[in-house]
Amino acid sequence: MEFGIFTIGDVTTDPTNGTTPTEAERIKATVTIAKHAEEAGLDVFATGQHHNPPFVAPANPPVLLANIAAQTERIQLSTATTLITTTDPVRIAEDYSYLQHLAGGRVDLTMGRGNTGPVYPWFGKDIRQGIPLAVENYNLLYRLWREKNLDWDGNFRAPLNSFTVTPWPLDEVPPFVWHGSIRSPEIAEQAAYYGDGFFHNNIFWPTSHTARMVNLYRQRYEYYGHGRADQAFVGLGGQVFMDKDSQEAKRRFRPYFDNAPVYGHGPSMEDFTEQTPLTVGSPQEVIERYAGFRDWAGDYQRQLFLVDHAGLPLKTVLEQIDMLGEQVVPELRKEFAAGRPADIPDAPTHEWLVARQRDGSAPVPGGAPGSRAHEDRLAAEEAERAKADPGTA
Amino acid sequence: MIEIVAVSTGLSEDSTTTRLAQRMLASTEGAFAARGAEVTTTHINVRTLAKALVDLTVSGFPARELEEAFAAVKRASAVITVAPVYKAAPAGIHTLFWQLIDDASLAGTPVLLGGTGGTPRHSLAAESTLRPMIAYLKGYALPTSVFAATDDWGGGEQAGLDRRITQATDELAELALALNPAAVGTQQDTVAEAASGARLTGTSATGAPQAEGSAVEASATDSDAYARDIPYAGPAEESGRSAITPRGLGDRAREERGRDEFDPASVTPFSALLGG
Repeated sequence: MEFGIFTIGDVTTDPTNGTTPTEAERIKATVTIAKHAEEAGLDVFATGQHHNPPFVAPANPPVLLANIAAQTERIQLSTATTLITTTDPVRIAEDYSYLQHLAGGRVDLTMGRGNTGPVYPWFGKDIRQGIPLAVENYNLLYRLWREKNLDWDGNFRAPLNSFTVTPWPLDEVPPFVWHGSIRSPEIAEQAAYYGDGFFHNNIFWPTSHTARMVNLYRQRYEYYGHGRADQAFVGLGGQVFMDKDSQEAKRRFRPYFDNAPVYGHGPSMEDFTEQTPLTVGSPQEVIERYAGFRDWAGDYQRQLFLVDHAGLPLKTVLEQIDMLGEQVVPELRKEFAAGRPADIPDAPTHEWLVARQRDGSAPVPGGAPGSRAHEDRLAAEEAERAKADPGTA
Repeated sequence: MIEIVAVSTGLSEDSTTTRLAQRMLASTEGAFAARGAEVTTTHINVRTLAKALVDLTVSGFPARELEEAFAAVKRASAVITVAPVYKAAPAGIHTLFWQLIDDASLAGTPVLLGGTGGTPRHSLAAESTLRPMIAYLKGYALPTSVFAATDDWGGGEQAGLDRRITQATDELAELALALNPAAVGTQQDTVAEAASGARLTGTSATGAPQAEGSAVEASATDSDAYARDIPYAGPAEESGRSAITPRGLGDRAREERGRDEFDPASVTPFSALLGG
């Protein structure tokens, strides 16, 4: 089980003193936060990709992550998310395999569609094609990382003739991919089809909804024969603000909650914490809340916390990371390890993926022979043949 | 079983909008009962959802009670919606309710519009805004609507409010019954039973001739689409058909709305997305 933080890089005015960081300050702060996460013993740092205010810092995740990679030793670098709809898959393939080399394999990524309409035309795309773009672009990315001299023809970019990604993925093994979606069953299905991971960023959603999405992905993962449903790769989001006691945490976070662009002027902090993963309280309360995620999500692989949002000053964010590293994560590791079946995989690392590829057990998209998906496909083909030629049936 | 849902925005404790909605709901119950249909009713006062509606608008946060109200509308076989008129338009939180519900939430559902206001001069105000919204949500807004001005509450029989309510709710019941034959067919008849029963009829008819099949049966037996394609032909006893009731447009739309898009058994396979 991995624990880490993810950022959306928002430049937000601190409502308690009216100061707004510059873009430069916010970008440098993001690097400081990532380094601090490693020092605090967290496993993952992930950045979003946005091209519109107030999310200024992470317009270019590979550049940010390469910079962080150069200043860290151990922490896994990821995205939450990489925009598969509006970023050219060739660009993604080359940027992230380059990053993989620079970071010594400490890289994975989460595919997302982005939900802001105006962003699509900035990159020459159409939001009405959101799902078809995610489907075609990822299929191309998948092949770019696995087939040399690729010939390819599709709907959303120029055809490719004998193209090979440069540099080729480290040790011939592409980074692990998660697919992020909040409410599109198609994306859970996509993750299951390829045997990839599924990340649900549930920070604004009740657990009842998240549980259904996770269940859909798990069941379909098994259907495609990549493993049992409970062995599928699940990641979840969350957001916390802690102080030594609950009252103090609430007092300190309330002005940020009440004014944040994403929360403010809507539900009360109490309503919001009741129905979403937002937990404002003592480290013990955070431990209890998040240990309970297992009850509805099953044993999962990755838990990311959002801690640097809503205009919180850098100093406070670093304190939050310290509390996660010192008090929360060690306890959660114990809780999640207890009773976890031995055959539930951890979140994939580069070494694990290399070993999986060498022993020939990498997932087959759409299901290898022996899977239910494969049997259904054979039966459908058989029915098709019988229909085309009733004489031989 | 027919479920009628009323969505009204009564803003004061003794609200005329609530009173009108209650009278329309009671009259609708009576109209269905007179036609032999059993009904359940749900009355949603949008006032109780005001904060949840605003929260969802400004921060995308879906409160549980709002989700429940939306679910009730999607389950309904007939909907009544009553709004107070403010400045020649329905009160904002009333339209907000219909603006935030999922698209196609009223597909195949007959909707009776109602409004209240200070003077009869407001009489078309509520519906001129609501009618296109109901159409956008794919509901069938009845041509007749009910408006009650202050005068109507003091006018007794002469004002004709009761008569107008009766006329409108009769229309609502007739249309709901036509659109939802399976929901009223036989009391214990579920949609699923009606569908599988229809297939049985088709099978036995191709195997051995059935005695005295009506025209409706004969035209339907050659197709599995029996349950889908024939028009409603009135209560079973009168048309001489079997007790199996075909599903109507409203029944089918409700079934579609009730489909769980996160059900692993019914998800669109990825190969279909990839090939498409």
